[in-house]
Amino acid sequence: MSDATDTDEQPLALPGDGLREGIIEDLRRRIGGGVVDTHITPNDDLWIRVQTGAWRQTAEALKAAGFTHFSFISGLDWMPSPYGTGESDPTAEPKELDTEIRQGVTGGETRFQVFARLVDLDRHVGVTIKADVPDEPFAVDSWSMVFAGANWHERECHEMFGIGFNGHPDLRNMYLPTDFEGYPLRKDFPLLARMIKPWPGIVDVEPMPVQPEPAGEPATQDTEST
Amino acid sequence: MGLVDRGRMPAPLTKLFNMSRSYSLWVYQWGLACCAIEMGAAFGSPRYDVMRLGVIPLPASPRQADFVCISGTVTDKMAPAVKRLWEQMPEPKYAISMGSCANCGGPYWDSYSVTKGVDQIIPIDVYVPGCPPRPEALLEGIVLLQQRIKNEDMAAKWRGDEFTTQQATRERERIAAAPAISAPAIPDREPIVVGGGPIE
Amino acid sequence: MTNLSDRQQLSFIASQAADARLNVELETEGMTLNIGPQHPATHGTLRIICRLDGEQVVWAEPSCGYMHRGYEKLTEVRTFPQVTSLVNRIDWLGSFANEVPFILAAEKLMEVEAPPRAQVIRTILFELSRIANVTLFLGDLGVQMGAITPVFIAFRDREYVLNLIEGATGGRFHPNFDRIGGLKDDLPKGWIDETRQTMVKLRKFCDIIEDLLFGNEIFQSRMRGIGIIPADVAKDYGLTGANLRASGVDYDLRRDQEIALSYDKVDFTVWTHPDGDSWARCWVRLQETREACKIVEQLLDQIPAGPIMTKVPRIIKVPAGEAWVSTENPLGEMGYYVVSKGDLGPFRVKIRSASFNNISIVPWALKGVYVPDIITILASLYFILGDIDR
Repeated sequence: MSDATDTDEQPLALPGDGLREGIIEDLRRRIGGGVVDTHITPNDDLWIRVQTGAWRQTAEALKAAGFTHFSFISGLDWMPSPYGTGESDPTAEPKELDTEIRQGVTGGETRFQVFARLVDLDRHVGVTIKADVPDEPFAVDSWSMVFAGANWHERECHEMFGIGFNGHPDLRNMYLPTDFEGYPLRKDFPLLARMIKPWPGIVDVEPMPVQPEPAGEPATQDTEST
Repeated sequence: MGLVDRGRMPAPLTKLFNMSRSYSLWVYQWGLACCAIEMGAAFGSPRYDVMRLGVIPLPASPRQADFVCISGTVTDKMAPAVKRLWEQMPEPKYAISMGSCANCGGPYWDSYSVTKGVDQIIPIDVYVPGCPPRPEALLEGIVLLQQRIKNEDMAAKWRGDEFTTQQATRERERIAAAPAISAPAIPDREPIVVGGGPIE
Repeated sequence: MTNLSDRQQLSFIASQAADARLNVELETEGMTLNIGPQHPATHGTLRIICRLDGEQVVWAEPSCGYMHRGYEKLTEVRTFPQVTSLVNRIDWLGSFANEVPFILAAEKLMEVEAPPRAQVIRTILFELSRIANVTLFLGDLGVQMGAITPVFIAFRDREYVLNLIEGATGGRFHPNFDRIGGLKDDLPKGWIDETRQTMVKLRKFCDIIEDLLFGNEIFQSRMRGIGIIPADVAKDYGLTGANLRASGVDYDLRRDQEIALSYDKVDFTVWTHPDGDSWARCWVRLQETREACKIVEQLLDQIPAGPIMTKVPRIIKVPAGEAWVSTENPLGEMGYYVVSKGDLGPFRVKIRSASFNNISIVPWALKGVYVPDIITILASLYFILGDIDR
């Protein structure tokens, strides 16, 4: 880390080895204004958020830059669940639910985002790429013509969130039966079993047995009454 | 045999048949998830060998099986297959539900795609709890099933009654043959209680 | 690849021509074969729908979801320790290995690190779960090829490893032993010596399997040259683990990333194979089992003294943030992308399971193969249904 007392010159070395900064620069060169936001944890990990329109272009650019190993694609729903999280104490007062949509690392503007991970096997570095999914049309471009493995991941993302993928050859359900209604991983999809009988939380299963009151006078000879 | 369904099987023959049935069970392993591995360890490994109990593990098809051991999570997508399997098995058939997922949904009790207990689909004879149950627990479940078979009333099983043990049949016959409960007899004289004291 | 003599090559071509003639005459096209969901050869409830032309597969499609339990939704309503106990059941053969990346991700968000003793024991248990997992794979490999004996040997020798895991954690599988900040308990007395003896037994098991299975001529002719996956296709589909290394790609997350496990203290080889066929995948896994025994033996000599858990609050609230951790699990690369909002439980967990990607290559890999080779290719790709379907 740069010396905090050194105020008259720019720190020469970035906290890290410059590898991930170089990847960002390379991507900016290839797709220009498509890169919206980035986040680096030094020597550890890299996040890049791109414009929705540049989603497929990013895949092609990164594949050309050496990120040839595809890891996964999935979605994020940033709305806090209206049903609360199940671990709060049901006997206590219900807390005021937080309804503000706050996106995480690298920000965002929409409730839903898609994110993917690609790995460069030669430089041993991975990158997480995110993009907003606009409300209308609720879709992004498909990666299945860039990475063949994206096919299944996009099917799963579609059935769980409802996000469309333009250009996907066959967007049907992966896990759920064909007649399943609803998109399970959205936060407003309730888990019915929890609504019928909420989880009791940390309970004392068996309370201690009630101790009998100790008698003041000595016990009388207790024979059966005749 | 006409003797079985008419309930006219003599008792020593019933005992012999029940005992021989319970010691030659062919089990269909319907292993779905983690419990399938413990079931495999119980049935296939030399340590918790199940063949010494008289239970043979690998039938060629469900149509040749005596009982089915459903181990692992049953999802809603898989449930029709379980039902179809149960219908394929010939009577007399039994079912053991192994593991908490098959008993009641288990750790996935609140999931949107898990059937909360396979007894919603097929009737179960023995529940073996655990996550996963040790192979010894499954073997105890099988031994309990064997005891149930030994105590079974074959006519009741043939008819498809809910309770098929011989005790249940005896209880049912006792209730059917018992005289109706009559009103208490009115005593000839009223007991007179003057100043308390024991009643004559 | 095996060397065929001229005469063998000519007879092979003649038999293909005879096949083609027969196919035209008999019109055997278009039979749909449904393997599963309950089938002894699939490791669980995987259904594969194949469209056949005679004996050859024209089109194949796995149909997943028969074991889909909704993990990612369930993690949103549980606390972090509850998620740990739930997550063991994804890859149910090597269960401890499933908890580790999740705990490491939570530790990354909390910015704590487990003490050195806990890290070494975590790594030992991780490698033991790898041995438990791949031992069963090697036994099942025999069953799927039609040889029943290896699975009995595998179950017997796996019991020794399960005894060890049970001795340390209390559970044969699904140990639920990892905690944020360390481990639940310390090792019992005598465990280290017991483990050393068990590693000797496991090495003997690897030799037996190599002799019994891999040395068998029928096994070799059924495995060699079948299901070749080139390296670039493997990377496109995201194959990981032994599947990737058997296609010649030298990538092992134990060696190639910095992670809070003790792999930098030991000396092990990463095995690759240039062929990329089913034989290569199975062979790489056999060698990895031997390497795992070696890693455990080295680590047993290096367990430092010290506490088993750092100071973490009793009720754990993980600060807000996002973290990704992946490890080299027995099946491949398993990773968790944990999003936390500062609550008792995670906000969203994306589980990147290895078998999902490994099986996504099945439609590509099964084009044009013969029916018996379907099982061979599936067996060599090695998946666990809980890992595919989560």
